[in-house]
Amino acid sequence: MANPAPVPLPAQSRRLSSLPTLNLYGVVLVAVFTSLALPLLATLGYALASRWGATLMPDGLTLSWFIELWTTPRFLAAAGRSLLVTIGALVLSLVLILPVAMLAQTRYPRLEHWMNTLTLMPFAVPPVVSSVGLLQLYAGGPIPLVGTPWILIFTYFTIALPFMYRTMTNSLRAVDVSELMEAAQLLGAGPIKAFFLVILPNIRAGVQIAIFLSFSFLVGEFVFANMLVGTRFETLQVYLNNMRGASGHFTSALVITLFVMTLILTWLGTRQAEHTVKEAAR
Amino acid sequence: MSHTVTASITATTQPAVERVQHQPNMAGDNALRLAGLAKRFGTTSVFDDIDADIGHGEFITLLGPSGCGKSTLLRAIAGLTPLDQGSIHVGQDDITELPPQQRGIGMVFQHYALFPNMRVVDNIGFGLRMQKVSRNERERRVDTVLRLVELSDQAHKFPHQLSGGQRQRVALARALVVEPRVLLMDEPLSALDARIRRHLRDQIRDIQKSLGLTTLFVTHDQEEAMLMSDRVFLMHQGRILQQDRAETLYTRPSGSAAAGFMGHYNLLDAVEAEPLLGFRPQSARVALRPEALYLSLDGRPFGGDLPPRVGPALSGVVRRHRLLGNIVRYEIVGSTLTLNIDTLNRSTRTLLVEGTQVNMYADLDEVQELSE
Repeated sequence: MANPAPVPLPAQSRRLSSLPTLNLYGVVLVAVFTSLALPLLATLGYALASRWGATLMPDGLTLSWFIELWTTPRFLAAAGRSLLVTIGALVLSLVLILPVAMLAQTRYPRLEHWMNTLTLMPFAVPPVVSSVGLLQLYAGGPIPLVGTPWILIFTYFTIALPFMYRTMTNSLRAVDVSELMEAAQLLGAGPIKAFFLVILPNIRAGVQIAIFLSFSFLVGEFVFANMLVGTRFETLQVYLNNMRGASGHFTSALVITLFVMTLILTWLGTRQAEHTVKEAAR
Repeated sequence: MSHTVTASITATTQPAVERVQHQPNMAGDNALRLAGLAKRFGTTSVFDDIDADIGHGEFITLLGPSGCGKSTLLRAIAGLTPLDQGSIHVGQDDITELPPQQRGIGMVFQHYALFPNMRVVDNIGFGLRMQKVSRNERERRVDTVLRLVELSDQAHKFPHQLSGGQRQRVALARALVVEPRVLLMDEPLSALDARIRRHLRDQIRDIQKSLGLTTLFVTHDQEEAMLMSDRVFLMHQGRILQQDRAETLYTRPSGSAAAGFMGHYNLLDAVEAEPLLGFRPQSARVALRPEALYLSLDGRPFGGDLPPRVGPALSGVVRRHRLLGNIVRYEIVGSTLTLNIDTLNRSTRTLLVEGTQVNMYADLDEVQELSE
């Protein structure tokens, strides 16, 4: 009989202490989320609307814009070109940067100093400036690359360089590379074998993160693609730019498609990152 | 996968252990010979004039303070650091120019250097995989060494799930399973806490003896060196000062550097030592162990009878005492010198308090005249 009386007290006090903080937190979160999501939602709505003119809400919903986009050969070709250039740049940077990062960590610590300076260069020089430089370099002379996909692969390599190098250096630092290499060698593995069996599996997560995230921002790259190659090798972003005169519904569908692609890749990258953090915490 | 492993565990019986134990003997002469090894970084010499003959199955400790070049010497023997001069032979084979993977030398690192991406079994099996040993044979041999280091129940864990002592045992098993001709250990116990260290120390020594494995063990811990080794190489400033059995090294140090590092020798020059010995020694310096010095209090021996041959009595005052468990070390100040003197800690009632007047005697049979 006397028991039920004290029960509501702790519940009440808990509500009193936690509610205001939760509210403030929630309000900020909702505000930020809304301001970020609204333009996207509007674009998505426009892409799905059959007609959205003078009325507040669209007249009807349809997938026809998406279907039209995904069946346009020019779009598919542009997507293919974007993939080709981006994957090419990523493969190139993996093949070149990983050994450099490895050597800087183990054998030539002085290399790291130079790499740190080098990785700042793409940030220091704005894309518009460096693209003019690249145009001059590759327009004539022994290697006329302007207008070919090659120039984009090399350029994207330089954009991805700081990001790839940083991530790889950090992953390499987390494992004691030289000692693991030595241990593997004393057990009979040559340096190459030791690298693939012992070092690479331990930095795999870091390399994957670097690749996913670099991929997502390289696919969205416009300035270099437009300046260096333009319509001669139409990538997705250049295609989007060229389509700006077309139906708004159609370009909205294009934007949403690009966004979802990037979202999935970024999500894959961050999921890998979280997984790695958990692994490290175990 | 797990099925085959269980099958091989049940199939492996005691003879497998014996086979591994006798393997090194069948492999022939595994003695290690170092001749005139020298290493410089720029103009500074790391070590110089290293000559040593290590017998088959011998356990040698390289003992020295940090920075004396002992770890670099070990790495040079493993082939991880290039040499400037000298040659290394294992048995009849000159391995001086061979890359580390072809030397047939195993190594255990201070910080384990286990492969984080591999389970215990795969870490241990790595060397066999490199030798292209068949899968069945590999599982059998991994299983055998796992039992040798008492880790069979941890076989499928990852290194980060193990304690420091367990990790070092995995590292030891990984080095042992390929049956190296020489095993190198670079301060393998330094990163472990005292209790585990004592246990693993005895375990390493037992395994080494049972396999008859030629072993070179680096440490800066005198106790470790004395307890484990057949012989101790005392290193100082890049040179081996003395190669001797532990008890010889302790009681008969060759020079003042050796005496300074071993035990807690009282180092005296000839003039200081004269009143204590009753004569002027031939050498410039003498070394006296604290347990080879005796005390008397009020004319009666304190803490033990005087030995047959003692020098003259020298009076002094107790400045302080340190309790080292079973031993009390007194610091006693005479008119011309200060000495450390050890007595057995028989009872707390007989501790000498600071300021007590005592007489000091040196056991003349234990006086070490030092060459330098």
